[in-house]
Amino acid sequence: MMSTPITTGQGWLHRQRAGTKLAALAILGVILFLVHSLDVLVAALVIAAAILAHVSGGLTPALRLARPALISVLLFFAINLLVLPVPEAVAVFLRVTVLVLAAAIVTATTQLAEIVAVIDRLARPFERMGLMQRGDAGLAVGLCLRLIPDIRAQYSELVDAHRARGLKVRPWTIMAPLAIRVLMRADAIADAIDARGLRP
Amino acid sequence: MKTRDLVLIALFAALVAVLGLAPPIMLGFIPVPITLQSMGAMLAGSILGAKRGALALLLFVLLVAAGLPVLSGGRGGLAILAGPTGGFILGWILAAWVTGYLAERAIREGQGDFARIAALFGACAAGGIITLYAVGMPWVAAVAGTPLSAVAYGSLAFIPGDLLKALAAALAARAVLAGYPLLTPRAP
Repeated sequence: MMSTPITTGQGWLHRQRAGTKLAALAILGVILFLVHSLDVLVAALVIAAAILAHVSGGLTPALRLARPALISVLLFFAINLLVLPVPEAVAVFLRVTVLVLAAAIVTATTQLAEIVAVIDRLARPFERMGLMQRGDAGLAVGLCLRLIPDIRAQYSELVDAHRARGLKVRPWTIMAPLAIRVLMRADAIADAIDARGLRP
Repeated sequence: MKTRDLVLIALFAALVAVLGLAPPIMLGFIPVPITLQSMGAMLAGSILGAKRGALALLLFVLLVAAGLPVLSGGRGGLAILAGPTGGFILGWILAAWVTGYLAERAIREGQGDFARIAALFGACAAGGIITLYAVGMPWVAAVAGTPLSAVAYGSLAFIPGDLLKALAAALAARAVLAGYPLLTPRAP
């Protein structure tokens, strides 16, 4: 049902640690906003696009990864051309596009498990503060992924129930029963986790 | 944190993801289709409360950051968060917290039906609309460079749909409060 853009490549970028790549992305974001030279920004754009096409195996898959974000970038570029001086609008467009492509590169070269590991590491300080237990972050991510297909099935059942009664699906008719159905399972799942001793 | 709280957070993060898979609903009397997912922050806040609601949306945003296509239209990945509208997704965390904080204080014992729906609607609108736009619009202005006034003007088109979502979320929260209460109404 859900397709993840997980690649199994073995390139240099794939082998770098997820935390390193995320930190590099954050630093790039800060640097980009300090660059005003259009030449430098165009060069950065070409490099970023080339790397993304390389790591995602061609231009088409690269475009598929970056398209949703690029649509909003283009929309705001069009608005900016009307309200900002043209060179500034172009600089902003290049800057955001480079950032979006760089972010897509990180997503394309990093496996889900590695990012979950980073999330778990980031949660350590909160574990030491006693706000959560060791491994809670990873457990929550795993539990959430496990529950998505179940809740999707419950949603479909409610849509079918609407159809059977000749009703149209409306936000105010479907959300209450959906929320209650979802919540009713909470106790059973919590008991199952405790029974397995996953959170001592 | 109790195991049950952890489960509630995971359940609601999953619910927000499912709302993204559901096709947008056209209502006919508003021009923009309603994406159920953008109700997620209001629902989580008004049903789970501030802390659990915000953590549920934090978990959901982490799934987006991890590259899972859990946003409506099968979007996901860091590129969306880094883009111009990233603030409207990151802002869900704060929106859920504000909605929950207000909902926890607005619901009282012995409140009439109408008063309770109005209280929950106020919490959802303050959290899911005012707070969200207070994060999302400056984010657009900062990342895309578009002047804030132009962003604010363009955002007006979404307000009628947002108010409708706040009402739908308030009705759902009231039904949950009656059937499966997770928040404790204050003494009158």
